[in-house]
Amino acid sequence: MPLAHPKPSRTWPWAPGTERGIGLYVHIPFCETKCPYCDFNTYSGIEALIPTYMAALRAETARWGDLLGHPRVRTVFFGGGTPSYVPGAEMTAIIAAYQSAFDVMQDAEVTLEANPGDVTVEKLATWLKAGVNRLSMGVQSFDDALLKMLGRRHTAQQAEIAYGMAREAGFTNMSLDLMFGLPEQTLAQWQESVERVVSLGSEHLSLYGLQLEHGTPLEAAVRTGRLPEPDQDLAADMYQFAVERLAAAGYLGYEISNWAKPGLESRHNLMYWRCESYLGLGPGAHSSMFGVRFADIKSPRGYVAAVRGMAGARPESGPPLTGRDIVFEMKAHGPVDFIEETTEPMARAEFLMMGLRLAEGIQESDFRTRFGAGLNESFAGVISGLTDDGLLKSDQQGIRLTPRGRLLGNEAFRRFVEAAEAAPPTDARI
Amino acid sequence: MKQSHIRNFCIIAHIDHGKSTLADRLIQVTGAVAARDMTEQHLDTMDLERERGITIKAQAIRLAYTAKDGQAYELNLIDTPGHVDFSYEVSRSLQACEGALLLVDATQGIQAQTLANIYLALEHNLTIIPIVNKVDMIAANPEGTAQEIIQAFGFKREEILTASGKTGAGVPEILEEIIARVGPPTGDAGAPLRALIFDSKYDPYKGVMAYVRVQDGAVRESDKVRLMGTGVDADVLEVGYFTPELRKAESLGVGQVGYVATGLKNVRDCRVGDTVTLSARQASAALAGYKPLKPMVFTGLYPVDGESYPALREALEKLQLNDAALQFEPESSAALGFGFRAGFLGLLHMDVVQERLEREFGMNLIATAPSVSYIVELTDGKEVTVDNPSKMPDPQKIGETREPWVNITVITPAKFIGPIMELVTGRRGVYVKMEYLQSTTRPEDGKTPGQNARVLLEYNIPLAEILVDFHDQLKSRTQGYASMDYALAGHQAGDLVKLDVLVNHEPVDALSLVLHRSNAQRQGRELASRLKALIPRQMFEVPIQAAIGGKIIARETIPAMRKDVLAKCYGGDITRKRKLLEKQAEGKKRMKRIGSVEVPQEAFMAVLRLDRD
Repeated sequence: MPLAHPKPSRTWPWAPGTERGIGLYVHIPFCETKCPYCDFNTYSGIEALIPTYMAALRAETARWGDLLGHPRVRTVFFGGGTPSYVPGAEMTAIIAAYQSAFDVMQDAEVTLEANPGDVTVEKLATWLKAGVNRLSMGVQSFDDALLKMLGRRHTAQQAEIAYGMAREAGFTNMSLDLMFGLPEQTLAQWQESVERVVSLGSEHLSLYGLQLEHGTPLEAAVRTGRLPEPDQDLAADMYQFAVERLAAAGYLGYEISNWAKPGLESRHNLMYWRCESYLGLGPGAHSSMFGVRFADIKSPRGYVAAVRGMAGARPESGPPLTGRDIVFEMKAHGPVDFIEETTEPMARAEFLMMGLRLAEGIQESDFRTRFGAGLNESFAGVISGLTDDGLLKSDQQGIRLTPRGRLLGNEAFRRFVEAAEAAPPTDARI
Repeated sequence: MKQSHIRNFCIIAHIDHGKSTLADRLIQVTGAVAARDMTEQHLDTMDLERERGITIKAQAIRLAYTAKDGQAYELNLIDTPGHVDFSYEVSRSLQACEGALLLVDATQGIQAQTLANIYLALEHNLTIIPIVNKVDMIAANPEGTAQEIIQAFGFKREEILTASGKTGAGVPEILEEIIARVGPPTGDAGAPLRALIFDSKYDPYKGVMAYVRVQDGAVRESDKVRLMGTGVDADVLEVGYFTPELRKAESLGVGQVGYVATGLKNVRDCRVGDTVTLSARQASAALAGYKPLKPMVFTGLYPVDGESYPALREALEKLQLNDAALQFEPESSAALGFGFRAGFLGLLHMDVVQERLEREFGMNLIATAPSVSYIVELTDGKEVTVDNPSKMPDPQKIGETREPWVNITVITPAKFIGPIMELVTGRRGVYVKMEYLQSTTRPEDGKTPGQNARVLLEYNIPLAEILVDFHDQLKSRTQGYASMDYALAGHQAGDLVKLDVLVNHEPVDALSLVLHRSNAQRQGRELASRLKALIPRQMFEVPIQAAIGGKIIARETIPAMRKDVLAKCYGGDITRKRKLLEKQAEGKKRMKRIGSVEVPQEAFMAVLRLDRD
């Protein structure tokens, strides 16, 4: 049986494999209604597909477990879409599937995204029992008029009740999402929302400045003047308020849009920002390992068909596949639809772009380990320019954005990305 | 062809009066182009000409016509541009003709360029056949238009023909009248060759192709010829005529229009307006050439990407080969790098050249605001010519600055006199005279002319004041009814000042402007506020200042950018977000840097959009 891809397996030092444990992302592409600002790969009105889809997801999970040799899993994240929207029993089944396919660590962080409108006592109990230990709720705002504009199917009061229910049920690690910089949103409305989440005492907060994504109804509404364009200076004021208020309330702003009580950062998301290995399951879910980035086919129906076609594609005889060959096998006989090789310059650009989002920034030693050279050897000009502009701080330990730099992160990312891709590889490994 | 059976003529008309369509009908009726090969605007071969519906380059075509007298004639039709900017092309064509068809649109009557063109034709002693065109249109007023022609130019009623280029009505009559009224070329077949070069083109195989009209003698293949002005000798590789494609012929004799392939590699050796004679048997005197063209409007042309500078030079050189009016020389700008200062005959000419550079040569250009050419008398008595505002001498050293003025002719319905007067005087224009095109009293009622009576207005105005949006303003204030034409009227001293623009305290040479002192304050303020809107917010606060002689007259501040950050970046976003950042970085690279400020290309055009009224 010939290999799906003839290249011998190699190691890519700037892109770790699975040895240190991976993050697992599980995509649930169903929503009761699609929110007008959302450009994710999610669908409403295809609920009939749920049982078939969840079965395909379990099959894909099992297949990856086999091919990768049942690697260790450090974190799991159910995202979407709306994971809370599917029946509790389906969640129990998929959790059982990955637990048998992977070596899930005892203390693994298992997060589930929930819409406050879906939360019931029964579902909460089912999730907890199955092993979900962190709940992320999309509250978005505590102003009902703004919630309506955002197309949310819950009120502020319902969100507070759902939060209370989750606490009651025994969730001790919770995250709430809020949005700012919305059309018509005032500073006072925002301050009120921040005060409300602070008083709820959630362990973790994600505060997202609205990005008007092309092709979304909200973007069209602003473009055609049906809604006013959000004022970016006001959005900056809102962010600034949150920075101060949350610091006073004991939260650490550990990433541009994320705050946590000490030690309760999102371990799963940290894996993205630190460019560690992760596997995405489900349509459109992205993965990164062995120096390649890949994703499953976007359409849920196409995904189900691709997973069905996978059955018995490769007999379990012969030497096991390793490294990238596994990914190419899943492209040839599975749901993987897109593969992009991460060259070393790209990897460097992404490592910088992602790492600078974190308050800890980029550690000199981490960068050297991955890329064989120090930050100053490749980026002296960019570092000194950004330092002069007051966007970056650099010292022996590494580099990180200043408070001003966090609001102007794109400027820093752009300069690093440009320089990272212009610089030659640090050695001839590729 | 016998000399007596040759007729050389052109068509002159105001823009849009149906010149190219009538030419199409003449071509069809005489069968010069097979029906299946016929296209609309057949003589306008440039894409740009067809799109804009204008003629830019003169074109010639030979038509064979058998007249009602049973005799075969050779008609050479030379198509000419209608727009004032290209009147040099018109005057070159006129010199190759004995007759001109004067077209006047029956729905519009005489327009400003009708006047300009007819005066040109009279200067060249051409026989003029007036034709009222577009008589098929519902709004046509053939009789009124004919009366206007009679009134304005003194033609007799029976001399005026009517036609429709669209339906072809009247076209056979036109052909007959050409035979009857336009005289055959006069010239001496036995005299030494004299042929006037009215255009030239470069062909990679045949070298410079001189488009000529033979005055005396004849020219044939393998003749040795001399260009009398440049003194260069050449071997004739081929002669021929236009169909309008080039068609080889044995010879070109007296009165004939065609081409001479010279094999010359340098277009400069073969100047338009020069006379071709035989090397062995030279004519004693050259034909009267053309007045050398002087550009009136200047702009800086810079490649967006500095590496394209040599490509821009090459493109300009190629355009210059058959656009004698285009002039350019290298210049550099602190803000824009290396580029060229180019001179044009007018704004449409400038526009057309820029568009051709972009479309035919793929150039990506930044053009600075157009300027006129100033004569500056220095305090030490010396005189300098300045066509780039940033090169204006120090105000202390200037004794007097003189700017070019033009005489403009506007034809309009009487009801718009007020708005036109207001527009012109607001731009420092001076009233010269006003005339009614029809007699001041109507024979039928004896009353004074009404609101729709058409009036000719004449003003003197500084050229700089009509460079930008004057024509658009004229059209919009007269609901499109007014037409205008202009002619240079010498230089006059003016109280002119140079306005400098400083971005983040650095002067931006490419944004400098020369203005009349009375407008400087207002326009300086407006320019600063426009730039504020066009320059994106930077990492730091950026002051924009307008200054005259070191004194700040306007200031705006672009506040520092406060928020520019991707809210989310998780596992599925990385490739997309990285590409977005790369694209943004690429976009920033295309901006011009002034000190540490990134300035988009549009900012350099801001001057063009200043409200002048």
